[in-house]
Amino acid sequence: MGTETKKKPIPKSLEEIERYYKERIGLGESFDLGVRKLKILRKNVHFYYVNGLCDTQFIIEIVEELIGINDREKLSTNLFQLVENRLAHQSVTKIEKLDESVDQVLSGLIVVFVEGETTGLVVDVRSYPGRQPEEPDTEKVIRGSRDGFVENIIVNTALTRRRIRDERLRFEMLKVGERSKTDVALAYLKDVANPDLIDVVRKEINSIEIDGITMADKTVEEFMVKQGYNPYPLVRYTERADVAATHILEGHVLVYVDTSPSVIITPTTYFHHLQHAEEFRQSPAVGTFVRWVRFLGVLASLILLPLWFLYVLEPEMLPQAISFIGPNEESNIPIVLQLFFADIGIEFLRLAAIHTPTPLSTAMGLIAAVLIGQIAVDVGLFVPEVILYVAVSAIGTYATPSYELSIANKLVRLILLILVALFHFPGFMIGTTIWILFLVHIKSLNSPYMWPFIPFEPTAFMQILIRRAVPGSKIRPSIVHARNRVKQPLKS
Amino acid sequence: MADESQNLEQNQHEKPMSFITMVVITGLFGGIFWSTLGYFAYVLNFTDIRPNIILEPWALGDWKNGWLGTVISIVAIGLFSVGAALLYYIMLRRINSLWAGVGYGIVLFFLVFFVLNPLFPGMEPFMKLSKHTLITSVCFYILYGVFVGYSISFEENEAKYRQKKNKEVPT
Repeated sequence: MGTETKKKPIPKSLEEIERYYKERIGLGESFDLGVRKLKILRKNVHFYYVNGLCDTQFIIEIVEELIGINDREKLSTNLFQLVENRLAHQSVTKIEKLDESVDQVLSGLIVVFVEGETTGLVVDVRSYPGRQPEEPDTEKVIRGSRDGFVENIIVNTALTRRRIRDERLRFEMLKVGERSKTDVALAYLKDVANPDLIDVVRKEINSIEIDGITMADKTVEEFMVKQGYNPYPLVRYTERADVAATHILEGHVLVYVDTSPSVIITPTTYFHHLQHAEEFRQSPAVGTFVRWVRFLGVLASLILLPLWFLYVLEPEMLPQAISFIGPNEESNIPIVLQLFFADIGIEFLRLAAIHTPTPLSTAMGLIAAVLIGQIAVDVGLFVPEVILYVAVSAIGTYATPSYELSIANKLVRLILLILVALFHFPGFMIGTTIWILFLVHIKSLNSPYMWPFIPFEPTAFMQILIRRAVPGSKIRPSIVHARNRVKQPLKS
Repeated sequence: MADESQNLEQNQHEKPMSFITMVVITGLFGGIFWSTLGYFAYVLNFTDIRPNIILEPWALGDWKNGWLGTVISIVAIGLFSVGAALLYYIMLRRINSLWAGVGYGIVLFFLVFFVLNPLFPGMEPFMKLSKHTLITSVCFYILYGVFVGYSISFEENEAKYRQKKNKEVPT
């Protein structure tokens, strides 16, 4: 496809347009593509559409209007203006190029061609198949709005616009994918978001060269942050419209990708993954409490197993006060294998639960919890303590608000276990240190990953430790380099 | 429009905290935080050295080995840590690298465990320290060095970035 065909202007002859459509996009071959031919004031008017992506009700009304011209008008000299006027829709644009018209038709719009004219009229009658906004499964709250994002980018931007009616809110539309031509929107506040960050994100998205992004936002993320085999999530996803709006107001840049119900929040740090909308729906004290418990859960999911295993390997290190810990009887299988079996067993369950229908997964949970664990102990396969600690750390994993982070933490836990098994205490200590250094060295879109802990930012760190009351948090986090740091007037 | 934008809050670029204050707080918090973790490491038998060792050169009452001694030691380490942070600020703040912090931590470790070792009667000579103690201490010092060093270098970098931004926007 050279540039010549791309720039081909719309010919005056409708037959030529039809031939072009037959050759290029298989009109007549693909069943979902259609053309409707009208005769208005003895001239031909054709329009092209794609089945299923257009709203038939709108098209019927437009056709009625157009045919009505025959009854009410006589002169066919200015037919084009007549047709343009009679297109009963608010969104009508003119195009000059055939290639553009193809793009529009395939997006679900209709393009009206009038005989003898070199301009096409595009009418936005799109109606994509989709669902209503509903509460996202991954980010439930007890109180709070229940409208989550859906697979339609227009609905998603509308849900955001409903929360921020600011004139300075921008949705910048980009197209990604040579074949899929997926819509990607950058959302930010023009006078707040850091222009450098917007440029970086825009540049990264524009430089994506791929045929299609069927995995939507995840693919965009992989191109954007280039994380390689680093398991830690470098951007945060959210399916909640209120969380998205909060981050826009904080000065973050969000990326909406069509066909995906989650949006990307950039830049993100480790601690962004530890926040949850629920904390902000409770009173600050309760929110803080919930957050600390959650931190404990995350910590347990990381180091509880390796620590216990370390004391099993080196019982002489066990502090006197907790000397009851550790397996009492000899086990038939090395503890490290037991830990791995149990942990991988839980992983089996998790994976199975993802694609098991809900009624079956209840039964599956019962089998898992009651039968497998108990019988494994009875048979002598597992030491009871293994089950206890694996279960606690699994619950800790589930208490992590970010699904991506919980799995990354799980991987680190397994690596620490291997290190402890191989090198005992040095493995644990040096492994943990290297893990922290690794986290510190990660940068996501030029933001240090462990901010505000390392590098330390006292005010932001307090915001992490304590869920501040909203009236008290007056400035935006410095990590986004907001152009306007103040959320509320400082003197009030 | 031009006059109006002068008065907008976004053009004021107010700094929430001066650099030195930030360094002092980072040092204080870093010392308290990591020595608290160090105390936990002592409780978990990861190291034979507890924070209280810092009170040893001074002849104090028996309380210095109790919980009060621990708390005071941790705060004292925090105060010493302010000095360490200021030292880093003076010498190394322009090196914007993680490794500067790691190196600083290792240097501090040798300073305390090798050079200042005779000051602490409770601490075994360097060669006689147990393997666990050495590994734990090195790791903690490295993490502490990164904490202080990386924070200060990052802040320096941020300050430069802010200056550049301020220049770009003609006010």
